[in-house]
Amino acid sequence: MREPSREPESPGLNSINSVMNQHLFLHEMLQPFNFEPTSSHEDFLEQMLSSVPPTPSSFPWADDHPPPGNSEDHSAAMRMRHQQISGAAAKALMLQQQLLLSRGFSAPMHDHNDVVDSSSPNSANPANDASIKGLFNVFTGLPGQNSNQSQQFHHLQGGGLQQSQSLSGAAAATSGDGAAGRSKQKVRARRGQATDPHSIAERLRRERIAERMKSLQELVPNANKTDKASMLDEIIDYVKFLQLQVKVLSMSRLGGAAAVAPLAPDKSPEGRQPAASNNSNKEGMAATEQQVAKLLEEDMGSAMQYLQGKGLCLMPISLATAISTATSHSRNPPHNGEAGGGGPSSPSTSVMTVQSSATTIGRKMSLQEAIAAPKLE
Amino acid sequence: MKARSSLKQEFLEKWRKGLQIGRNDSTILERKDAIKLSADVAIAATRNAATRWRRALLCDVVSKNPTNKHVVEQILGHKLKNTAATTRLTTACRRRILRRGQNYRRRKRNKRSRALRKLVPGGEEMDGVLLLQETLDYIVSLRAQVDVMRRLAAIT
Repeated sequence: MREPSREPESPGLNSINSVMNQHLFLHEMLQPFNFEPTSSHEDFLEQMLSSVPPTPSSFPWADDHPPPGNSEDHSAAMRMRHQQISGAAAKALMLQQQLLLSRGFSAPMHDHNDVVDSSSPNSANPANDASIKGLFNVFTGLPGQNSNQSQQFHHLQGGGLQQSQSLSGAAAATSGDGAAGRSKQKVRARRGQATDPHSIAERLRRERIAERMKSLQELVPNANKTDKASMLDEIIDYVKFLQLQVKVLSMSRLGGAAAVAPLAPDKSPEGRQPAASNNSNKEGMAATEQQVAKLLEEDMGSAMQYLQGKGLCLMPISLATAISTATSHSRNPPHNGEAGGGGPSSPSTSVMTVQSSATTIGRKMSLQEAIAAPKLE
Repeated sequence: MKARSSLKQEFLEKWRKGLQIGRNDSTILERKDAIKLSADVAIAATRNAATRWRRALLCDVVSKNPTNKHVVEQILGHKLKNTAATTRLTTACRRRILRRGQNYRRRKRNKRSRALRKLVPGGEEMDGVLLLQETLDYIVSLRAQVDVMRRLAAIT
């Protein structure tokens, strides 16, 4: 009965293995606990399939009593399992159960089932544990190790992915089979499955970082970047921009005449970063200014955004001149004399590009704030 | 929305309190520094002043110029008795972070995280997850600060 039942199982199991892999990948987030022990069962199953022919003698008790009561238990466990997981996995488990059944389970298995069923709150676990116990029994061939096994299975109830690893480790230790050793290696090679605590922690950490990045994305403008690295760049730029705004705004309260290059953040010494070197390109500037003037008619905010996108910004003339004299670089000649701290109308503002050497990434940054146009609100 | 407007109001109140301390600074630079100082301390004192960057900011402010301490305490409303605790905390964090330092240096976005750490106060002693978290909070507070300062500058 066993031999012919095995032949159709092996290719079927392979396909089911692949399906299981996909399921694992998809449902990894949702039900990690349910699936992964099952897949480790698949490994055990394959190994059992390959190793069974040479070792029929290790299961002497199996031939003696194939109790019918166990089949009932197993079918009950299978039914529970069915409710929990998808069809393919259930089918795999069914086959597994059948295989174990065909090996023949003795009375201790029966008892174990009862013990597990009563004690575990999670209905998925008994089925898991039943199959795991079955595997364990198969490997050790010692139905007498009742207490040991029940302890280990209680472990399994409480635990997670680590338990499958410990189980495979324990199985390898007790049986000392080459088959068990191969199964341990195979468990490690499984894709999409964390088999040691380090990768679990890594994954948790990565998930947390992804959460934070998503919330940061909503906060920072220009957050349409999908790449994490460019997202980080945006965040860095934005923080620098805001910090500079604060700095400049605190200056603006004093009437716009600044004596300090407002580029460097406060933490670092001012002299470390060479201040505003003016990179304005005269030919491009005219077209930009026209565009900005056009935008300013409609909406100040969009004009600012446009400039920001180009790496430029608006500021009143007084501040621009003050900065320029402070840094003693060439600059755009002001169109008008006075802009004051109040609302600048478009022709009286000068546009200035400022290059900051503070960025390690090497991008040009415009970090001067346009002060206090009422329309900016 | 409610949370943000109360944050701004809180910031405004504390900023005003800090500005009222009254300094007789002659130069524009000094006045600007005083204004910025009050503003920064005020924004760091909002909410519960418990997050890392807030504490680091206050510690920086005090350590840079010990005369600022009374300003900080006035705005905070209580004594800065936890500066020693904060330094102990930061050294412990630093040690813990340095122990994991190999993993950190191996990562590809190393330069960027370094740049971010420099920006956020106290960022040197934060690990990756905490850094992003603190950055988020810091950005929110900075925005509130900038908004309030802008409106105030627009009025006058």
